Amino acid sequence: MRSLTALRMVVHDRSSTAGALLGVVAIVFLVGQQLSILFGLLNYMSVLVDHSGADAWVMSANVRNADAGNSVSVRFMDRAIGLEEVEWAEPVLIGNGLFKTGDGSFESVRVVGIRRPRLAGGPWEFEKADERALLDLDSVTVDRLDLAKLGNPRLEQVTEIGDSRVRIGAISDGARGFQGTLVFASLDKVREIARTPPGRYSAILVRFKPGVSKEAALGKLRAVMPPGAVYATDELSRLTRRYYFAHTGIGGSFGFSTIIAVLIGVVIISLTMYTSVLSRARDFAVMRAIGGRRRDIAVVVVSEVLIIAGVGVFVGFLMLAVLLNMTHGSAIPSYFPRQVPPLLAAGALAVSLLGSLVALRVALRAEPASVFH
Amino acid sequence: MAVLTLENIARDFSDGRQVRRVLFPTNLRFEPGELTVLSGPSGSGKTTLLSIIGLVLRPTEGCLHLGERDVTALSDSDAALLRLRDYGFVFQQPMLIEGLSVMENIALAFAVQGARPPKDLRGKAEALLESLGLHATSHMQPRLLSGGMKQRASIARALIKDPAILLCDEPTSALDAESGQAVMAILKRIAIEEGRIVIVVSHDARVFPYADRLVKLENGTVVADTHERYAEAKETR
Repeated sequence: MRSLTALRMVVHDRSSTAGALLGVVAIVFLVGQQLSILFGLLNYMSVLVDHSGADAWVMSANVRNADAGNSVSVRFMDRAIGLEEVEWAEPVLIGNGLFKTGDGSFESVRVVGIRRPRLAGGPWEFEKADERALLDLDSVTVDRLDLAKLGNPRLEQVTEIGDSRVRIGAISDGARGFQGTLVFASLDKVREIARTPPGRYSAILVRFKPGVSKEAALGKLRAVMPPGAVYATDELSRLTRRYYFAHTGIGGSFGFSTIIAVLIGVVIISLTMYTSVLSRARDFAVMRAIGGRRRDIAVVVVSEVLIIAGVGVFVGFLMLAVLLNMTHGSAIPSYFPRQVPPLLAAGALAVSLLGSLVALRVALRAEPASVFH
Repeated sequence: MAVLTLENIARDFSDGRQVRRVLFPTNLRFEPGELTVLSGPSGSGKTTLLSIIGLVLRPTEGCLHLGERDVTALSDSDAALLRLRDYGFVFQQPMLIEGLSVMENIALAFAVQGARPPKDLRGKAEALLESLGLHATSHMQPRLLSGGMKQRASIARALIKDPAILLCDEPTSALDAESGQAVMAILKRIAIEEGRIVIVVSHDARVFPYADRLVKLENGTVVADTHERYAEAKETR
């Protein structure tokens, strides 16, 4: 009956309900879209590592992120292949170059060189053509989201990167970097563009054999490499994300805007619930007079908040789903990990309850004796 | 049904700087089957007295007994439970909760502490509303009822639990003469036929003829308690 009373009050007090609902929706939607962009950017940060298909990366010692390593010797690849736990080891060479666009201007790109025929560390999804294009020496791939930036090059169009002739062999999908536009090419082509000395690579990707204990294999790999040079893929991914998150201002920026969104929601919920409870003060006093305890009043107020928060979370997620659907596949980074919605919903409920504390305090102060005045 | 006894009940109020006594030591005894009217001018202490009797205000001095039980200093929860079980309230304004239907307002009197209302509640409430002249109003929202209908609905809310004590604060003040008399007739019937203690606070002289006993207060003191004389006066009229 107390929950029913709360429901009836919520339905009856439409203006205050709408206000509190707005607060909850604001929290869910604003924080949700901030998080989706943040997670989208986090994906960009470690996109090469996450899609490499490798179990471990061998890089120069003590790197702070996957994009900031010194070159390593080809001998590391030989050492890795020498381990019986290793299925394959492939070099990756990353350099910078200027992509000549159709109108003669230049766009800075990161060229990622991968070795034929395995093409490990290369693009993983394609919009046009496929990875076989990279078997050709001059072929490069560009991502569909970077096409406009690169002057909308067509498939098979010939252009230059760093004075080297390249041909657009395939259009990738989702291979978008955080540090710059990613262009995949063969190792030899990247060496030519970046003028890297022979026998040097940016990293060696290592894949362990199926059924092998990754921990044990990593231990053996570390034993044959210089200290601090071997990274498990997920470890390097975390390291890279954490680095950019902490050192680029993204963390602070997103943290600040998220806090602002939560504060706006809390203020809206607080004010509307406070007004609602004030206008119901007489009803709560009546309920106390006819036998309600303070905890019964608390149940009614908390039920009101939970009803509003529940509806608000639903509406907020609905709006978020529409937004994510609209931005999916667009240039706006957006990604919503599966574990985030329950956490966001729980957070919104907690914040709603927090926002209703003042109102609850007012409701609990309703004196039964006041009904006789 | 239990007897309600007040022994030297007094009440002070303080504004933080000075203490003011609004009810001086008062001794009263209320019997079941009797409609008592507490009367007096504004500020005479009648609402304070009613609040103490209704366990929504604690006396500064004295004892309040319900039957053999001392209910003077019950905890908030115990007082609430006693109000829920043994008390019915009719306020100056009907004070039905907007948003709840008449039936839900009545059910709330049973279930305000979260208990499930009894299965026969609906039938009992319908019968009660019928007896109060509120046929087919159970599903209606309070805002759709007239003032008199609302007040009768609030009487139904007070009576649904079969309370031993019914406390009414100026129940007719917001009503026209006809509705007021109808309400008083109902309260009188409840007191006599159902053997309850019915206490009505009113300074409306039109209420007095319904009283079995008239207690007059002035400046926080009982100045007249015309139980027998008032009954006799009625009989000789």
